[in-house]
Amino acid sequence: MKLKFFATYRDFTRCKEADVTAPPDVWALLQHLKGQYGDAFGDKLLTSDGTDIGCETIILINGRNAGHLNGKDTPLSEADVVSIFPVVAGG
Amino acid sequence: MNAWVGTILRVDLASETITKEPLNLKDAHDYIGARGLGTKYFCDEVGPKVDALSPENKLIFMTGPLTGTGAASGGRYNVISKSPLTGTIGAANSGGYFAPELKYAGYDGIIFENASDTPVYLYINDDIVELRDASGLWGKTVYETTDLLKEENGESFKVSCIGPPGENGCLYSGVLNDKHRAAGRGGMGAVMGSKKLKAVTVRGTGSVSVARPEKFMEAIIDARAKLKAHPVGGAGLAALGTQVLVNIINESGALPTRNWRDGSIFDEADATGGESLADKYLVKNKGCFGCSIDCARVTVVPDGPFKSSGEGPEYEAGWSYGADCGVSDLAAICKASFLCNEYGMDPITLGATIACAMELAEMGAIPEEDIGFKLRFGDPHAIVHLTEAVGKNEGFGKILALGSYRLAEKYGHPELSMSVKKQEMPAYDGRAAQGMALEYATSNRGGCHVRGYMTSPELLGVPFKMDPLVTEGKAATLKIFQDLTALIDSAGICLFTTFGLGLPEIAAQYREAVGTDETDEEILFKGERVWNLEKHFNIAAGVEKDTLPPRLLREKLPSGPAAGRVAELGVMLAEYYELRGWDKDGVPTTEKDGATGIKYEAKVLCDV
Ligand code: SF4
Repeated sequence: MKLKFFATYRDFTRCKEADVTAPPDVWALLQHLKGQYGDAFGDKLLTSDGTDIGCETIILINGRNAGHLNGKDTPLSEADVVSIFPVVAGG
Repeated sequence: MNAWVGTILRVDLASETITKEPLNLKDAHDYIGARGLGTKYFCDEVGPKVDALSPENKLIFMTGPLTGTGAASGGRYNVISKSPLTGTIGAANSGGYFAPELKYAGYDGIIFENASDTPVYLYINDDIVELRDASGLWGKTVYETTDLLKEENGESFKVSCIGPPGENGCLYSGVLNDKHRAAGRGGMGAVMGSKKLKAVTVRGTGSVSVARPEKFMEAIIDARAKLKAHPVGGAGLAALGTQVLVNIINESGALPTRNWRDGSIFDEADATGGESLADKYLVKNKGCFGCSIDCARVTVVPDGPFKSSGEGPEYEAGWSYGADCGVSDLAAICKASFLCNEYGMDPITLGATIACAMELAEMGAIPEEDIGFKLRFGDPHAIVHLTEAVGKNEGFGKILALGSYRLAEKYGHPELSMSVKKQEMPAYDGRAAQGMALEYATSNRGGCHVRGYMTSPELLGVPFKMDPLVTEGKAATLKIFQDLTALIDSAGICLFTTFGLGLPEIAAQYREAVGTDETDEEILFKGERVWNLEKHFNIAAGVEKDTLPPRLLREKLPSGPAAGRVAELGVMLAEYYELRGWDKDGVPTTEKDGATGIKYEAKVLCDV
């Protein structure tokens, strides 16, 4: 499964993309990312109580915001592309 | 005096008469200021059928009550006139430092009437207000004009001016202040040029006082703290600027590509995004008066064929010259965008007009000899060359200067102009964000993203998340956003404050500045009043109905999360009109006019 990182999150991952074996769902992916790239990144990805996707993070699965799918329980598969952003805006 | 300084300058450019008149406080109360108040003055004084480039059209610079007060991002003004591009009411908004200076000189706004025979500029030094000869400035760029006026009058003077495209009638030429801040859209520069008015330069040593200073201070401290704490209004925009949006909009399948022909995923988007800009060319960030967000970019392309420096590019320009033209060379995008500031042109319309020309040329609809070379999508040299051609009014640039609608019509394909009411839509595909589709169709100044900004909930999840692919709930949210945006623009603050603030914080600053006890809802309702007045003007002006280019209504997106989708406008539009209290054709009804208290006087309703 392909992971893409953007904006200031690249400062944590030091890469733009990574290939990983698809975890079962978004929640498992977040745990994997925390383990891989450190607690500081994990703090950004998760809510302060560590129970959900943090409100400063946007996770797109094939371009769809996890919030419009099944949130942290959204299932993942090998063919998915997951894009991870800090909340950004402008325009 | 309650956030206003109390005087409007009226400048008759034909007779060279300058009068100072008291601000109409009743209208200032009802229409807030800046965009709303300027529109009210305009509608009372100018007929809707006026030829936008004739002396009978007027040009209004108007500040808001919060301009120059210390309110968060409170440094803005609007330039208001009938738009020569769209035929709608035109109101273009700009930040920088010019508008507070105008208030400190003692003027809330300026109304320019008629036209001068020879180039002039308006000199304002507190009480001294004079029209001066600008023959030596005519033909100069925005940068040159600004430098020359500062040299002549002193570094402390602020300058708002047009470049050669404004003089030459480019229908999307802007009015630029502080060199890089643009009242950019709708061709306000062309109106100014038609009046032979090159610039306004101002120095003010006064101040603005607010009605309830202590409570006002509390309101701004609260607002500024909330902005600082917000991930976007705090560190986010300062770090990567607006261009950071390229990737998220692209990943969401909503970045229109090659004149919206090839769907909305641009494979090379990352090379053009805010991350690449920061890596390669960003020198530092910068802000406008009273702003802590500091979203502006100071940028240098140090070498190569597109060696250049300036401010930007902003997201919309990065898109119009980037994905929309199929160009991935960020240096070329930077240079084209800088040229737009230097010459004074709207980069959204210009980039999108070049994209339209690229599609027409690839189809063989424009003969190669008209352009002078083989124009194709993806050519970085072409975007720079053609931008310069419009700036200098040379060759094919003369046709591009009329915008994509008139270009596409001339070559037999008006349907390929990606515009609404003849103004180009910006960088979000309404097929992938249905609320944006409704926003474009109903915007009172043609294709525009800052008359509501549905992108924020639909694609960015700020301040709440709305599924971009559904139509339910979009009309109601858009109505609130449109009214709120009208309030923000009219108050004299920056729309970006909504990346941290909501109606309560914005209304609180307004309330304490002007000294009113109106509720949040009553204050928001003034935004609705502004919106309805604009709509009335457009209807009286005979502006075409609310719709979208056929490409959005009929051509399905080929890929991405919105694959197979078109803009489902019909259903949203009917709901929207009903919520606004308008009839099924989108005409405000008498009953609702009563509610918003609009009296649209005979002058506007008859053909002048
Ligand atoms: S947010 Fe950006 S555009 Fe708005 S006032 Fe601040 S610096 Fe200017």
